[in-house]
Amino acid sequence: MNPELGQDLSLFHLVLHASLPVQVVMALLLGASLMSWWYIFIKMFALKRALRVTDSFEREFWGGGDINAIYQRVAGEREGAGEMERIFEAGFREFMKLRHQTGLSLNVVIDGTRRAMRATYQRELDGLESHLAFLATVGSVSPYVGLFGTVWGIMIAFMGLSSVAQATLAQVAPGIAEALIATAMGLFAAIPAVVGYNRYTHDIDRLANRMESFMEEFSNILQRQQATAKSV
Amino acid sequence: MNFTADAPPGSRPVPNLLAAALAVGVHVLFVLMLVFGVSWQTHHPEAVMVDLWETLPDTPPPPAPPRPPPVKAPKPEPVAPAPKPVEKEPPPPKTPDIALEKKKVEAERLKKLQAMQAAEEKTRAEAAKAWREKQQAEQKRQALLRQMEEEDLKQRVATEAAANEARLARLTQAQAAANKRQAEMASVVGQYRDQISAKVRGNTRLPDNLKGNPEVRCLVKLLPTGEVQSVRVTKSSGNPAYDDAVVRAIEKSSPLPLPSDRDARAAFVPELSFVHRPKE
Repeated sequence: MNPELGQDLSLFHLVLHASLPVQVVMALLLGASLMSWWYIFIKMFALKRALRVTDSFEREFWGGGDINAIYQRVAGEREGAGEMERIFEAGFREFMKLRHQTGLSLNVVIDGTRRAMRATYQRELDGLESHLAFLATVGSVSPYVGLFGTVWGIMIAFMGLSSVAQATLAQVAPGIAEALIATAMGLFAAIPAVVGYNRYTHDIDRLANRMESFMEEFSNILQRQQATAKSV
Repeated sequence: MNFTADAPPGSRPVPNLLAAALAVGVHVLFVLMLVFGVSWQTHHPEAVMVDLWETLPDTPPPPAPPRPPPVKAPKPEPVAPAPKPVEKEPPPPKTPDIALEKKKVEAERLKKLQAMQAAEEKTRAEAAKAWREKQQAEQKRQALLRQMEEEDLKQRVATEAAANEARLARLTQAQAAANKRQAEMASVVGQYRDQISAKVRGNTRLPDNLKGNPEVRCLVKLLPTGEVQSVRVTKSSGNPAYDDAVVRAIEKSSPLPLPSDRDARAAFVPELSFVHRPKE
C-alpha cells in the first residue's frame, strides 16, 4: 500500500486515485446497484407472498368454501389480504350493494361488479409492477454509464502518456485499470437488474393472467346466482 | 356524498428494511470477494545476475590464514641531537722575541716552501689518480654499454623468433579451421546431394524398356530457394524415354532440399550438375 512502490493496484487505491468524473460515475453506479438490489429483494418478497396468498385463496375459493364466510374473513383482515382476495372483496361488495337496489337489471349489476373488480385489479397490478421500471432502466443504462467512465479514464491515462518521453505500459496500466473498474461496476449493477426485471415481469404476467381469469369466472358465478335468485 | 366506505384499502407495507440489509450484504460480499479473491498486488520477480563461465572455476583457494593483528610499530623516539658546544681554548698569548722572530720567519718560509712543494706533489698525484679513475669509469661504462647492446640484440632475436612461431601457429590453426570447415561443407554437401538424389529417385518413373544401369547427367538451374528453373541433359543415357523420365522427375521434385548454410549452398546454386543412375 505504498505509493512509492509504483505498481500498487489494490482496489481501494485505484478507486481513490481515479479522476473526478470516473469517481462520480463509480458513485452513481454504486448507488444504482444498491437501489436495484434493494428493489430486487423487495419484489422478491412481495411476489413470493402474492403467489402464496393467491394459491391459498384459490384453494379456499374453489375448494367449496362459503362465499359469504370468505368475504367476511377477507374484509376483516384488509391489510394482510392478497391481490386476488381484494379483487374478490371489491367485486362481492359492489355486487351486494347493487343487488339490494331494486329496479336494476342483471346486466347492470354484473357490469358494475366487473368494473369494481377491474379497478381493483388495475390498482393491485400497479402495486406489483412498481419499481420494475427502475430495474429496467438500471439494466439498460448502467453499462453505458460504466463505459463512459472507462472511456474518460482511458482518455486521461493516454493524455498523461503524451507528456512523457518514453511510453511504457506501466504508465498507462493503473489508469486503464481504474477506468475498467467503472465498466465492471456498470456490469455488476446491470446484470442482476436485467435478470430481476425479466423474471419479475414474467411472474407478474402470470399472476395477472390468473387474476383476470378469476375475475371472469367470479362474474359468471355471480351472474348465475343472481339469475337463479331472480327466477325463484 | 361520502365514499369512504368505497375507498380502496391502502397498500401494504413491504419489508423494506430486510431488503435493504440484503442489498447491502450482497455488495459487501462482492467487495470482499474482489479484495480477497483477486490478487491485485503485482509481484515482480527479483532480478537475477548470471555469470557465464566457459570452464568450471578453480576450486576457491583456502581462506587466507587470519592475518596477525598489525603490531604497532614502536614509535622511533626522536633522536635529539645533543649539541655539544665545543669550547675553544683561547690561543696562548705571544711572547715578543725579535731574534727568535727572525729565525721563526726563516723557518716559516722554509716550511712554506716545503708545504708548497708537498702541495704541488699532492695535486699532481691527485690529478693522476683522477685520470686513472676516469679511465676506469670509461672502461666500465663501455663494458656496460656493450653488455646492454648484447642483451638488446638477444632479446630482439628472441621476440622475433616468438612472433614467427606465433604467426606459424596462427597459420596452422587457420589452416586447420579451414580444413575442418571444408570437411564439414563436404559432408553437408554430400548429405544434401544424397537427399536430392533420393527425392528425384522417388519421383522417377522408369520406362519399361530400360536395360542395365545407364547414367544420365543433367545440368539443373536452381533458384536460391531450391526451385528448379530449367533442366538440361548434358550426357544422354542413349535411351530418350529414360532421359525424359529423369528430367520430369527433377522438375517434379522442385523445390529441391538445399542446405541453409550459404557456403554449402554454393555447391548447388545457381547450377547443379546432377548424375542419375536408375539402380544404386
